[in-house]
Amino acid sequence: MRITPALAGTAALFALAACGGGGEAGTTPASENPPAKSIILITPNPVGTNSFLQLGVKGAEAAAKDLGASFKLYESKDPTSIAQNVDAAVRAKPTVIVGISFSFDDVFSTVPKQHPGQQFLQVDSCAKDQAPNLACVSFKEHEAAYLAGVEAGLLTASGQIGVVAALDTPFIHRWIDPFFAGARSVKPEVTGTPLYVGGNNPFSDPARAKSQAQTLTGRGVDVIAAAASGGNQGVFEAVAASGGKAFGVDVNQCAQSPGNVIDNILKHVDVAEAAAIKEIVAGRTGGVKVYGLAEGGVGVTALAEDATASGCTVGDNPEVLAKVRQVRDDIVAGKTTVADPLQG
Amino acid sequence: MNILEWSFLSGVLTATAPVLLAALGGLICQVAGVFNIALEGQLLWGAFTAVVVSDLTGSAWAGVAGAAVATLLFAGLLSAAAVSLRADPIVVAVGLNLLALGLTAFLMRQIFGSGGTYTSPDLAGLPTLAELGLDVPVLGPQSPLVPVALLLVVAAAWWLGRTRSGLRARGVGQHAEAAAAVGLRVGGYRHGVTLAAGVLCGLAGAQLALGNVTLFSEGMSAGRGWIAVVAVMLSGVRPYRLLLACLLFGIAEAVGFRLQGAGLPQQAADAAPYVITLVALVLAAVAGRRRRENA
Repeated sequence: MRITPALAGTAALFALAACGGGGEAGTTPASENPPAKSIILITPNPVGTNSFLQLGVKGAEAAAKDLGASFKLYESKDPTSIAQNVDAAVRAKPTVIVGISFSFDDVFSTVPKQHPGQQFLQVDSCAKDQAPNLACVSFKEHEAAYLAGVEAGLLTASGQIGVVAALDTPFIHRWIDPFFAGARSVKPEVTGTPLYVGGNNPFSDPARAKSQAQTLTGRGVDVIAAAASGGNQGVFEAVAASGGKAFGVDVNQCAQSPGNVIDNILKHVDVAEAAAIKEIVAGRTGGVKVYGLAEGGVGVTALAEDATASGCTVGDNPEVLAKVRQVRDDIVAGKTTVADPLQG
Repeated sequence: MNILEWSFLSGVLTATAPVLLAALGGLICQVAGVFNIALEGQLLWGAFTAVVVSDLTGSAWAGVAGAAVATLLFAGLLSAAAVSLRADPIVVAVGLNLLALGLTAFLMRQIFGSGGTYTSPDLAGLPTLAELGLDVPVLGPQSPLVPVALLLVVAAAWWLGRTRSGLRARGVGQHAEAAAAVGLRVGGYRHGVTLAAGVLCGLAGAQLALGNVTLFSEGMSAGRGWIAVVAVMLSGVRPYRLLLACLLFGIAEAVGFRLQGAGLPQQAADAAPYVITLVALVLAAVAGRRRRENA
């Protein structure tokens, strides 16, 4: 077991800061003099080990370092503290205020209009009523899911694949439909079955996620994509017991269940966020920027230089690696188009 | 699709076991007149302490024992406040449920240095009965706590119907003043059942975190303690009916999973346990009225 007092202390500080509403933590001054540029990042939840939010922090820190700007992190713990943190950030008048996720849809519909001189950036979603001083970053998750599907199609022995997803919502279908489409592009007879965790805590119920995965493996499914957030580990346990294989999501999860995870459907939040912050600081404000495979905003671990050393089982299959890279090039070149479930 | 296959029945038992253990705790409290709605929080606390002890010692059985003891202590808060200090048990229980949610998330960061989900190769899960040499259908893939839960139902029925202390506990629940008047220590019985419920919830948490899966994630009880409270109410405080009620929820969950595969929307499958609760309540009410009319 790993006991790290420093980390634990930081976590406790974070928790306190989140309670304060406008607290700050993780300040990284770039120089001796107070820098002219500054970035404030507001998260919808405490960062903790939420890998998605960790990437968000990493991206903002990287951008701040490159720009010589100061960086402050405001962690929220619920919708009320999000609004309080945004108010506190606006009063601090930084160069850019960054909000992560759809949790900012409401507050970013109104606040940017009230403060036309302040620049805002929303990552991974966009407020419906977008003001000219609000820029948005969104991702083509479906392109990465399609690539993972190609791997699943090549590696399934039974011809049956599945997805265990948190909820049956249009957005989450970006991890489902393109995954099956990718598999069928290399093996047309593949059948795909999605199951949903649901229940009272769909994003963190590994027991239900495992039951769902067992339902799939019991029916002969041998490759399952885990899109159940905190429930993913339950899916890995189920495939480990049945001799199947799984896909992780958002970050490299291969090490969480060595030998059982083929690859991961990745979203490079840090890369896209850092690029968007630099654009805004350079004066190119507002608008929606979409990051797909072409922009390096999404991907799979197999595309990385060190794919064979990533701990993911896809590294053991050079022919799969080659095929995935070729399909990636086809998508980037426009030869293959991936249907977006959100566009009907 | 073959719905009635061994793996389906096994899935039903897996889904039922943690709810059943927690519900047994709720039932014995109800018998002695303590309306215990802290099952959800105690279940979560049990799951967390089971994972901590198993991770520290490398032994799943130490984890089970640790969860039982730690949750007994946790239930001591309810017992002290609601029985000794005569606080409203509902209010205390709501507080304990919130405390468990926050405290496990906080301690998780302190002990494991991470939030969200914790798992590790050091973390020992409970063996299955098949691994212990009992390779039979349905029970084989279960942890030993599952047959223990089923035996505890029989034990509870025997205790309540055949033993002096069980009958007295029922007396305490039915008419506390009368029980006190014949010399029973009402507070003593209530302390006893509340603490025993803590032990049962500890076992439920251990089954969830070391049996169903081998990990802890924040809020992983995910409403199972509340389902247990409903099961207690449906059971009319009778252990065998409690088993039926819990199995009903297990079946609803497992059927829901299968129906999803057959094309039923996830939201409808999610509603299954609640629809079943409503139908069961109506049927119980109708049956109750018919019995009264016949009498």
